[in-house]
Amino acid sequence: METIRNIFDFSDFPRKDMAVFGLFCVFLLVFPLMPHSSFSMATMIQFLMFALYGMGWNTIGGYGGQVDLGKAQFAGIGAYTTAVMLIRWNVPFWISAPIGMGFAIIWSFVIGYPLFRMRGHYFAIATIATSLVLLDVFQVWNFVGGARGLEIPLKKMPSFLYLQFRNDAYYYYILLFLFFIGFFYINWFRKSRLGFQLRAIKDNEEVARSLGINAHWCKIKAYAIATSFVAVVGSFHACYNFNIEPEDIMSLDLSILIAMMAMVGGAGSLWGPIIGAAVLVPMKSYLGSWLGGKAGLAGLDLVIYALIIMVIAAFEPRGIWGIVEKARRRKQS
Amino acid sequence: MTSILEVQGLIKNFGGLRANNNISFSVQKGELLGLIGPNGAGKSTLFNCIAGVYNVTSGRIFFDGREITNFRPYDVSRLGLARTFQIFVASGDLTVIENIMVGSFLRTRSRKVARERAEEIIELMELKDHVDHWVSELPVAAQKRVAMATALATQPKMLLLDEVAAGLNPTEIDGMMALIRQVHFDMGITVMLIEHVMELVMNISHRVIVLDSGNMIAEGRPEEIKQNPEVIKAYLGERFVAQQKAQQKGA
Repeated sequence: METIRNIFDFSDFPRKDMAVFGLFCVFLLVFPLMPHSSFSMATMIQFLMFALYGMGWNTIGGYGGQVDLGKAQFAGIGAYTTAVMLIRWNVPFWISAPIGMGFAIIWSFVIGYPLFRMRGHYFAIATIATSLVLLDVFQVWNFVGGARGLEIPLKKMPSFLYLQFRNDAYYYYILLFLFFIGFFYINWFRKSRLGFQLRAIKDNEEVARSLGINAHWCKIKAYAIATSFVAVVGSFHACYNFNIEPEDIMSLDLSILIAMMAMVGGAGSLWGPIIGAAVLVPMKSYLGSWLGGKAGLAGLDLVIYALIIMVIAAFEPRGIWGIVEKARRRKQS
Repeated sequence: MTSILEVQGLIKNFGGLRANNNISFSVQKGELLGLIGPNGAGKSTLFNCIAGVYNVTSGRIFFDGREITNFRPYDVSRLGLARTFQIFVASGDLTVIENIMVGSFLRTRSRKVARERAEEIIELMELKDHVDHWVSELPVAAQKRVAMATALATQPKMLLLDEVAAGLNPTEIDGMMALIRQVHFDMGITVMLIEHVMELVMNISHRVIVLDSGNMIAEGRPEEIKQNPEVIKAYLGERFVAQQKAQQKGA
């Protein structure tokens, strides 16, 4: 009973926030029913995917303060598990996604154990390295298609089991369902024992250890939670795109984008990844389509991301939500 | 009386430097023990060895009937030996109640129970006005109380306090003294404290241990320590003795 109450406990946010979020949820629910272009539908699906990626990253990166730049490897594990199982053994998404999540979690324990012996920048660099090593492995591994990746064959009929639809709205609603599960899970997580312990570790690891917290093990657990979010979205990505390539799903670009969602929106806050995805994903789509067409400007969007990261690091490490909170406190006093 | 903490022949080297040289002592259940000595005498090192932050070079440590030599800090605190830090840096990510809840989460998984325990301790430590403030916003005296409250929330049998009175003004020192007494008498927790504020140590300790450049040079009741010539030479200084005499004359 207590757990159920805790999942829906938003008492530490003002009413106004909840009203805004409620309206936003209504918008998310009715969006496919309103007239929309296929471009905006694709953008909305991207938004939900990246919001989920960001929520996952936020557990270890935001609450735990461990800047992880290797999340793409887990998206890759999820995506490849789903794709390989579907192509070779005709396994439905709803079975392969949990299995992919399991593989990703096992892998997160294997690399998490040594990784979390490192701190700060060393940890961040090491996560990049592990992700790139796994990318290289997948590029030469013929069983999973090597560098060319995998193509998921189309079924004759749309299928809920295999996540194959003619209309994007179905993908959208399935993703929205996952989004709400993730959101309420995080709302529970941030005030759970592990959530508190992670925030204490971020605050001061030595003090946290003196309070009976096994910092190393806590980080590994949070890493596994972050991983399961990313792996499921990776599995979804495989079904939604019909096509995965290691260079795409396991790239450093994706790792950095995942970390940016929470960092721009506000690392260590419930709204952060949602705000971050709402700002960055449309920006990415529109910049991509606008600049992509102009010769010689194709890389400019990456430059813009780099600038955003620098501005945030210099002025407001708590991101957009940090600015909002600061303004509120100023108003109060 | 039985001893709750026992240190036997503890030696701690940092490279060529010997920070603790063959230190042996025991703390009785329900005792209030002071640990004094000049800067660099190895007081904090001793604390860190007991609390598991450092591995000892040699020697053994027993707590509550179990050997805890070279235990990890979190295992030591799970057994019921809590500590505070000399420099309590809070980056401001947690409010006062959240900070204390981190401590109480050691003994429970339930958010509700953790919160209730934290509220009890807040009442006790007179932190009610600060409940929802960020720790970094508080004055030093209140920050020290938060640190103590957080350690107490882990429900320890024994508490190691590292310079809880440093940087406090005389009124605040009196408050801290009353608080330590309260923790000791009302909650029945054994306390060992490192302190430079002589007024506090000499007033509340049952027994005092003196360290000087890694060696234990004296051990005894506060009155004995005050008159020990070696301690006066190494730490208290002639001025302290003169002051004491003047005070006695005045009284």
